[in-house]
Amino acid sequence: MGVGICITLACAGHPVVFQDVDADRVARGLEQVRAFLDKSVERGKLDAQARDRALAGIEPATDIGAFADCDVVCEAIYEDLGAKQRLLGALDDVVREDALLHTNTSTLSVTEIAAGSRLPQRVVGTHYCNPAPLMKLVEVVRGQRTGDDAHARTLAFVEGLGKVGVRCGDTPGFIVNYFLVPFENDCIRALEAGLGTVESIDRAIGFGLGYPMGTFRLLDIVGLDIHKAVSTSLYEQLRDPRFAAPPLVDRMIAAGQLGRKAGEGFYRYEGSGLHGT
Amino acid sequence: MAPETTRTVAVLGFGTMGAGIAQLVAQAGHRTLVLETDAQRIEHGLDHIRDFTATGVERGKLTPQEREALLGRIEGVTDVAALAGAELVVEAVVERLELKQELLARVADVVGEQAIVATNTSALSVSAIAAAVPRPQRCAGLHFFHPAQLMKLVEVVAAEQSDERTLDALEAFAQTLGKQVVRVKDRPGFLVNRLLMPYLNQVIQAYDDGLASAHDIDAALELGLGYPIGGLRLLDTIGLDTHLNATTAAYRDTFEAPFAPPPLLQRLVSAGHLGNKSGKGLRVGKEEQA
Repeated sequence: MGVGICITLACAGHPVVFQDVDADRVARGLEQVRAFLDKSVERGKLDAQARDRALAGIEPATDIGAFADCDVVCEAIYEDLGAKQRLLGALDDVVREDALLHTNTSTLSVTEIAAGSRLPQRVVGTHYCNPAPLMKLVEVVRGQRTGDDAHARTLAFVEGLGKVGVRCGDTPGFIVNYFLVPFENDCIRALEAGLGTVESIDRAIGFGLGYPMGTFRLLDIVGLDIHKAVSTSLYEQLRDPRFAAPPLVDRMIAAGQLGRKAGEGFYRYEGSGLHGT
Repeated sequence: MAPETTRTVAVLGFGTMGAGIAQLVAQAGHRTLVLETDAQRIEHGLDHIRDFTATGVERGKLTPQEREALLGRIEGVTDVAALAGAELVVEAVVERLELKQELLARVADVVGEQAIVATNTSALSVSAIAAAVPRPQRCAGLHFFHPAQLMKLVEVVAAEQSDERTLDALEAFAQTLGKQVVRVKDRPGFLVNRLLMPYLNQVIQAYDDGLASAHDIDAALELGLGYPIGGLRLLDTIGLDTHLNATTAAYRDTFEAPFAPPPLLQRLVSAGHLGNKSGKGLRVGKEEQA
């Protein structure tokens, strides 16, 4: 996600400080940024000068001290509340008081993350959709203590990236996952109940509802383990049974059928990972 | 039953769904008999098809000659006896069980024992409808989505009584209409609506709870998930009364909370705010900030 956000910011013309914990990770991340931009040039989506400008605007760093002059810091580390809180606390010591702190989380509470900062009024949730450079939507999440000014500046910032920012409160799943996750679990339950096969349910969703991808294809890409973690987190916050992952998900995880990354999930994948059965 | 064979098909009911189905059937080259209660309704159904296909000609989807031929294959009738010779019956009258049962029993008498009898119900049990038809093993659901001419999917619904031959024949027939087919069980909402209704109810409830503005909820669904239309705009398109009827029926049949109609839906329908068709609904007829 950090890579995708870095590409989005750099392509919008912002100078970017791209930080990770060690030089190896930074190098790997930058390699992914370059590969994405090269492919965009190849496909005619971006011209070579724009790519070079974007790449030239990215400054690699391994220490958050490099953020000292930043106006906006976008946090996209792993989904761990304590780690995110500690990071925001450390950022307080580095950046100016008027700098915005954006946290990219999909299942944690923005309010709780913001509690890690001494200035929670400048912490705003910005939930980018994957892949961030291509997806137009950003959920702009207002924590309990997010200030009006930070919220308004964040909406303007997101629009400046060419995205559409939607305003939402700090409620579990925000908007997108609040609707997506129970729908996915309903599809899994329909499969368990024998109302269709993996293929027929995906076909019904594609041709009957016009969704861009069948649910089981999507779940294979997301990963069954990730889906389980997201479902469980939302279920524990909401206590609504539609959010609870059905037993089939546990069996598939136990069997190592995690989706595309494992070569098998609801579909089987060979080699390229692109050929379902 | 070779797909290319020209057949005689009876469509019962010339409302929106009946007209859409009749147009598809005629377009596929079949002789199409459409049963309605009076000449005025037949004219109304024919007008619907004339308008739809005229737009199709304008957009280059079909030639004027193809349009003429299509219209020439459709014959409106008011007498059940005129359906004699139909090899397939597709029922698309109003969603009332007794009405469908009574009509299909009479039609089954006329068309003979070999004819296949399909119902386009979306809210009733196909098995209950089939119970009224002699030799119910030739009965099944053939569920088109609105607008039938454009939506690619058809659900072939197996009643408890349906035999394989009937389901195979309906699947092959739907394919001659250019549709993608999924076979589904006779359960409330079949497959697509079973998945769609809880989602739509959740969208209504979330909007009523102030999760986000109507505009932002739809934008998140369209841009974040790539859905062709956000849930609130979709509800306005379907018709809030139509969704209320469908989800109330599913709730009554299952007692599952996700099908329970949200209070806002009931209030809007009571107020006559039915969506696009009434000019007021969840999104339509409202001033909103983009």
